[in-house]
Amino acid sequence: MRRSAALVLTLAAALTHTSACGRPTGPYPSREIKLVIQSTPGGLSDTVSRVLAALMEPELGVPVVCENRPGAAGALAFSYVTRQAPTGYLIGHGPVEIAMVKALGYANVGPEDMDLLCLVTKTKPVLAVRAAGPWRRLEDFLQAARARPGYYIVANSGTGSIWHINALLLERETGIRLVHCPFSGSSAALTALLGGHVDAAVAGTGEVGPHAKAGTLRALAVFDESRSPLFPDTPAVAEAGYRLGVSAWGGFYGPKGLAPEARAKLVAAFRNAFASPRFQALCQERGMEAIFLEPEPFREFALAQAAFFRKAIPELLAGGAR
Amino acid sequence: MTGSEIAAGLAAVLAWDVLLFLLAGTLLGAVFGALPGLTATMGVAILTPLTFWVSTEQGLAMLIGIYCGAIPAGGIPAVLINIPGTPASIAATWDGYALARRGRAGLALGINSLFAFLGQFASILFLALAAFPIASFGLRFGPAEYFALAVFGISLMAGVSGGRIIPGLLAGMLGLALATVGLDPMTAYPRFTFGSAELLDGLAFVPAMIGLFGLGEVLARMMERTAGPGLAPPPLSRIWPGWSELRRMAAPGLLGSATGTLVGAIPAAGGDIASVIAWEQARRVSRRPEEFGEGSVEGLAASASAANAAIGGAMTTMLTLGIPGDAPSAVLIGALLIHGVQPGPLLFRDHGALVYSIIFSMLLAALLILALGLAGARPLARALRIPEPWLWAGVIVLGVVGSYALNNSLVDVWVMFGAGLLGLVCRRARVPVGPLVLGLILGPMMEANLRRALILSRGDWSALLARPLVVALLAAAVASLAWPVWKAWRARTHSEPSARA
Repeated sequence: MRRSAALVLTLAAALTHTSACGRPTGPYPSREIKLVIQSTPGGLSDTVSRVLAALMEPELGVPVVCENRPGAAGALAFSYVTRQAPTGYLIGHGPVEIAMVKALGYANVGPEDMDLLCLVTKTKPVLAVRAAGPWRRLEDFLQAARARPGYYIVANSGTGSIWHINALLLERETGIRLVHCPFSGSSAALTALLGGHVDAAVAGTGEVGPHAKAGTLRALAVFDESRSPLFPDTPAVAEAGYRLGVSAWGGFYGPKGLAPEARAKLVAAFRNAFASPRFQALCQERGMEAIFLEPEPFREFALAQAAFFRKAIPELLAGGAR
Repeated sequence: MTGSEIAAGLAAVLAWDVLLFLLAGTLLGAVFGALPGLTATMGVAILTPLTFWVSTEQGLAMLIGIYCGAIPAGGIPAVLINIPGTPASIAATWDGYALARRGRAGLALGINSLFAFLGQFASILFLALAAFPIASFGLRFGPAEYFALAVFGISLMAGVSGGRIIPGLLAGMLGLALATVGLDPMTAYPRFTFGSAELLDGLAFVPAMIGLFGLGEVLARMMERTAGPGLAPPPLSRIWPGWSELRRMAAPGLLGSATGTLVGAIPAAGGDIASVIAWEQARRVSRRPEEFGEGSVEGLAASASAANAAIGGAMTTMLTLGIPGDAPSAVLIGALLIHGVQPGPLLFRDHGALVYSIIFSMLLAALLILALGLAGARPLARALRIPEPWLWAGVIVLGVVGSYALNNSLVDVWVMFGAGLLGLVCRRARVPVGPLVLGLILGPMMEANLRRALILSRGDWSALLARPLVVALLAAAVASLAWPVWKAWRARTHSEPSARA
């Protein structure tokens, strides 16, 4: 008897719980909001999401709970979030990979399947070498690489990763030929560079910055049209006459079809959290540029990025295992 | 490094608010470590953004508390229910659980706490005295060295087979084969994923570990169990080891501490590999190698001290070079950066007091978790008096929840169940699972780094052998394979005359 009573109670609890999930009560938001992060705890995406979530809570008046669903360069999280109902109670962190995973063949999902909310950070690529080495300017490195095609080894954070794509773009734009060595993440790639096991590495400003400040690595060039405010002394490739580089970025999105009211509230909360001194300080310390894009400009930007990767990734990776 | 910096570091830690955060962190770490599926890395990572709202000293104290509290606590489920609480306590299951099944759970928990403390204390001492030499050793590890380290680890497969060498090696090969699932580490081409995006990153290791050790053991025990009332609950054993046991454990404990510190200092190698290597080395030098895996106090002392000494090693690399020595310290770098502290060579010059406050925080956390572990050993050992069916049900629930919690992925739960069935089959067929787990851990490390090393040497295999550390590690691997053969040969030639007589 007691057992069946307990069973009935459990079932009733489960039923009320599911029905509560489907039907919002009162004005949005009336219960907790889930924020799905596409990476493991501890990384940059995770820290940015968790700090913003905590900053948004007072304004929204409900808890913003972060959940990590790592895997397949973020494709698992993107597919999961876009499959859910657009209630406004489930959103996701969307890095540059939302524009890449389709071209990489990991999952059939892209920015066109999402309701994009806002962009908050941008991280430019940097070509780094050992500070003790002979190369002081980008041109020194290019000259050496031209003299010995296919000789110098450049580390990246993984085949098909954003920094690998940038190293391939460098080759294509400058006509040099390098050997690409993928590592599991930028930290491992830079460790190999510090240990003298590779000749150079392409990684983000935030990842190279600490080592450049410590005087162990030298940033030769920022892959962008303009310098990074975080690296005012490092020239942009455009200054040497090259046009290349695609930055990493981070933003937020929800399943397609969010109600306008919920979307406006979320974007406003993100905007205010973004402007807070705490978030600005976080970006400064971790070497990211704090840039805010409203939903519409972000959508245009993300779609353009997806179009770029759709064309560039097959072309660049066509060389096979490089 | 001056006396005033040491004093300032100590004073910063002894403030009551910092102590409170340290205590909270250590308690929280113990919970994260003791629950399978929740790892030390996850504990540090989830709490890191929260430290944004407190002072640098408070935040660091809490995160260090979590790290230092989680690893010793990971040994608790390893001893009690055969599930490593964190990957670092895999080797602790081999002797710890065997001791618990013989009714000596209290003693096993006591040894786990004492030698975890020894490992942490010794590695912190190394950090304080020889940070830069240890760290430069870690930096010498390039792809070729990682490959050689993995080969050395794989050469231990025979040793962790518990005498069943051929089945053990087969299980090891199976582990290596399963480790190939997922994106190819070099070309990012999907292998054995059957079109599933969930498998692109390979079979998740922690759920596989929970299944092989925990669920597999539970299923095996269920099948062994005869009808009627179960066995009488084992009497509570003492917690403190006796003098003769302590004397026997001194050498393996120190060996484990040194091994753990060095392996921990190598980036991308942590307590899991360290404790397996230490356990096997301790078995080699032991006078009672036959006890290893059957409840040897020496084996438990070696693995517990190595798993924990890896903390100090990893912190050494992290603080001196600004590169992570293992997964939790990778997260700690992010936490330090949030507070405007830049780990690296300049940290010791510009922020000496902060370095000492980190060292003292680690020491205090080690003492706290020692006290907690010893105080908790008796009540925890009593948990084994729960009737077996209830205990098993609890283990299965913990396994499911833990596997899901890791990545919030249902596929991981299926991996856990699959690994559990595999674990059951292995136990019924008397195939050791230790080598299988070793294959799962070391397979990706061996493959990716061999291929990286060949990219760096431009396809020249002989260039790998031009590196002294590679030669040393490969020689150690050959020696560890030859050792049992030589011992068996010695035993045969020595015993033959008497056998004939």
